[in-house]
Amino acid sequence: MGLLRYTAGRVVQAIPVLIGITVITFILANLAPGDPVRLMLQGQEVNQEVIARIERQYGLHRPLHERYLTYMGNVLQGDLGHSIHRDRPVTALLAQRAGPTLMLVLSAYAFALATAIPLGIIAATRRNEPTDHVSRIVALIGVSTPSFWIGIVLILIFAIQLGWLPSSGLVYPWRSPDQYGYSGYPELAYQTIRHLLLPMIALGTLQMATLMRVERTQMIESLQGEYVKLARAYGVPERTILRKHAFQVAQLPIITIIGLNLSTALGGAVLTEYVFNINGIGRLFLEAIQSLDYQLIMGITIVIGTMFVVGVIITDISYAYIDPRVTYGEHD
Amino acid sequence: MSSRSDPLLRVENLKTQFFTDAGTVRAVDGISFEVYEGEIVGLVGESGAGKSVASMSLLRLVDSPGQIVDGEITYKGETIFGLEEGPDGDLREREDMLTNEEVRTRIRGNEIAVIFQDPMESLNPVFTVGSQLREFIELNRDLSSDEARREAVDMLREVGIPDPAERYEEYPHQFSGGMRQRVLIAMALACEPNLIIADEPTTALDVTVEGQIIDLVDDLQAKYGTSFIWVTHDMGVVAEICDRVNVMYLGEIVEQAPVDELFYDTKHPYTEALLNSMPRPDRTVAELDPIRGVMPEAINPPAGCRFHPRCPDAREACKRIHPENREVARADGQPHRAACIKHDVFGDEYEESVPLEGRAQETAASATDGGESEESGVESRSQSGNGSGSTRKTDGRRGGDDRE
Repeated sequence: MGLLRYTAGRVVQAIPVLIGITVITFILANLAPGDPVRLMLQGQEVNQEVIARIERQYGLHRPLHERYLTYMGNVLQGDLGHSIHRDRPVTALLAQRAGPTLMLVLSAYAFALATAIPLGIIAATRRNEPTDHVSRIVALIGVSTPSFWIGIVLILIFAIQLGWLPSSGLVYPWRSPDQYGYSGYPELAYQTIRHLLLPMIALGTLQMATLMRVERTQMIESLQGEYVKLARAYGVPERTILRKHAFQVAQLPIITIIGLNLSTALGGAVLTEYVFNINGIGRLFLEAIQSLDYQLIMGITIVIGTMFVVGVIITDISYAYIDPRVTYGEHD
Repeated sequence: MSSRSDPLLRVENLKTQFFTDAGTVRAVDGISFEVYEGEIVGLVGESGAGKSVASMSLLRLVDSPGQIVDGEITYKGETIFGLEEGPDGDLREREDMLTNEEVRTRIRGNEIAVIFQDPMESLNPVFTVGSQLREFIELNRDLSSDEARREAVDMLREVGIPDPAERYEEYPHQFSGGMRQRVLIAMALACEPNLIIADEPTTALDVTVEGQIIDLVDDLQAKYGTSFIWVTHDMGVVAEICDRVNVMYLGEIVEQAPVDELFYDTKHPYTEALLNSMPRPDRTVAELDPIRGVMPEAINPPAGCRFHPRCPDAREACKRIHPENREVARADGQPHRAACIKHDVFGDEYEESVPLEGRAQETAASATDGGESEESGVESRSQSGNGSGSTRKTDGRRGGDDRE
């Protein structure tokens, strides 16, 4: 019950954040140099009247705040506008591109968690031993290397030199195998994984490095806790202490980091999609910026912003669910 | 405490050291004591005296870089720790010493349980109080999960937690400090150990709660007959609860006596100083007499008697002679031991020795006092009033660090 109210409260708090995101993007997009109508006409010589007509058609002649309010009214009705360049509704373009991006980001997180947590625990239990030092170096490299560079290196090694994995595109498991000419679902699954592997690692390395360091620090702290001392004094096996008593407490900050790192993950996805030629939201975003496609830029920003805000809300809620000490703002 | 058969726990010449970059810290340096069935034995001393390390050594739970390096710990005839000389002359672990696994499964929790100092931190914040209690009960007694649960609820009721069935489902942060300490006491008792080590269990609590907890332990101890090692720095708590007392200073036991004997016939100047520094209703704060200086570090303990730099009675001989803990009196058929060469059993070195410079002595010093009177503030102390009848002068500086 308390949890439900807490959730509702967090959602309400997110509204001003979302409004802020739209205002800032709207202003920035309109302040950017270049005129979308002229860009659309691509240097063709047309008279003022044609330009004025196009501007009227898209409402570009009206003052900024009016355009913003109209735009937001449409957004609330689920209409993110119309892409001038592609001549298609923004929502349709986003729906088409959301799948690959979600697949990429989620798999990158899965990769990061699956590697970071065991490695962090190992580093914590072998503190200041060679294993720990190696993990520290790996983490340092992971944190300081941009994902697109890792992507290019991975392509060079595994796609070009060794020829083990494909270097571009994704295979979508939600399509039918016939579309790709595969023999059946097992091959579809196999190809999905083969295509996903490199971009997943490229995007997930940064997350892995960050999470691993946090996991290590948290485990070290947790293992020094009085409750661990107590468990030892009552004969709890060291294995159980590590996996249960110390582990549970140590995971709380990890959840926070995951939520907050969503921004870097989504930002990284833009570049990773570009390097691996994946038709996701990230690439769409880059293309929209290059062609000053206001409506598309706005639409993508709102969607990514919302994804981030929702991610943070989910983080907060799961934190409240996992950590019994978090009160739901009713007492204390 | 009538019949003295074999003690439940016997500790002999226990030494626990920490090997740090700065040097070897001799946290526990050759202590010996016994705990008999059904008695509460105090382990008293200032912070850093080695009380906690000593008590954790009994469970072989000394954190790295600490290590038990010598001595013998016997519990009910089993060797928790013991060394012998190997064929090459080096010390090695004895054959009959319990393995780590045996200590974990047979001693920790089910034979010797612990109550820690900080009830706020000792419970795991992400598990319910009940599940933690049940886990330890299941681990240390042959009970099914359901039985352990019932036992846990019963035990919570036993330690005075209202609505134990509901509180069982709650998390530690929903309990007050005193209530958490009750939970920790329930944990210890529920495992049905024969010995409970209570490591400053009331230090983190406020005074009224402290009183309740001490009464509770007193009642439960009488009911279950469990032996206790009560680690504390508080002489008031000692007087209230302990049967016998070991006073620790800098890794050593300096005095060992039944509780009444210790209070009414104090034999070691450190114990006396502890008693004088204790707030009491019959004395004002101004009359409190804190012990001068701070305890030196156990890395480089002072030569001779370790207390001599702070001891009001110290003489030249105290700098040379390192006294062992010897029997200086008997009370109710039990030994009263003290490690101070003031006493006759140590010979007459002390009597023949001159008082240390800067320290006014009651008798021998008064004649030579004139030369040292630039040590201003030499004043007369009032009767220390603890029954030992000693009157002495000490210099007036308080709390100043005047180690040599």
